[in-house]
Amino acid sequence: MSSETNLERLYDEHAQALFAFVLNLLRHEADTRDVLQELFIKVARHPHLLEGIKDPRGFLLRLAHNLAIDLVRRRAARDRTSEQVAAQDGVLFAATDNPDERLFAVTLAEALGELPPDQRAVVHLKLWERLTFDQIAATLDISPNTAASRYRYAIDKLRARLRPIYDEIK
Amino acid sequence: MNSDFEKRMEELAMRELPGHWKAQIVAAAQPQPAWWREWLWPCPHVWAGLAAAWGFIFLLIVATPHEPAAVGQKAPASWQSFAFLQQETEIIAQLSGDDESHRTPPPPPAATKPRSTRRVKQSVG
Repeated sequence: MSSETNLERLYDEHAQALFAFVLNLLRHEADTRDVLQELFIKVARHPHLLEGIKDPRGFLLRLAHNLAIDLVRRRAARDRTSEQVAAQDGVLFAATDNPDERLFAVTLAEALGELPPDQRAVVHLKLWERLTFDQIAATLDISPNTAASRYRYAIDKLRARLRPIYDEIK
Repeated sequence: MNSDFEKRMEELAMRELPGHWKAQIVAAAQPQPAWWREWLWPCPHVWAGLAAAWGFIFLLIVATPHEPAAVGQKAPASWQSFAFLQQETEIIAQLSGDDESHRTPPPPPAATKPRSTRRVKQSVG
């Protein structure tokens, strides 16, 4: 099997998850694309990176997280802090016809953007990648306790922020 | 255990990855061709034709029989070297201008035509 086919297979299997994760972190579509491209270039040029990896998704999420953090730091040097990025473009959730769901999605996206990137990453991996705290800890290179506490803080903030809307549409 | 609030969030579908990214990203991730391949890429057939032409010319030269040089036709190599050395020495001396005596005498004037001929031409002109 050619390297191009391998890369395409890897892309088909993981790009959607990586896209959502990085978009949630960066809130900027062009930056997200840059990170994905950098990630796949790295994997293509160093195929040995994936050798012996039991959980390619976890490995790629970790790589994407590191690249996204690097990009945030570079952007920060150019006065684009994560708080500013959070308010920028990059629609996070799929469009829906249900107005209640749309309102909830838009408000949740805003609330996620107000979280610190560390907490946002944990929430994303827990809710939308359905990883355990051990897996999140391995992905983000933190302890499981740290992952759990970040998640708890983040959920509390989100709940407080979304309570009026959630109670209304529940 | 996740609360209803967390389940509600989980159920929200993430936005779809733009479809046109795949071709761009996979193409960008492919290893770049070697410099010589990139250099030849715009017109490989032309380069191949040029190489074939050179090969043909080379074969033609190799296949052409060479006539043996006549013995004694050329001066001996040692005499050639001496003449060349002498000529070089004279040129250096001329350039430096420090030794007028080593200048080669001007070449003899071309043989003039007989006066009678010149007179005829002058009278005609």
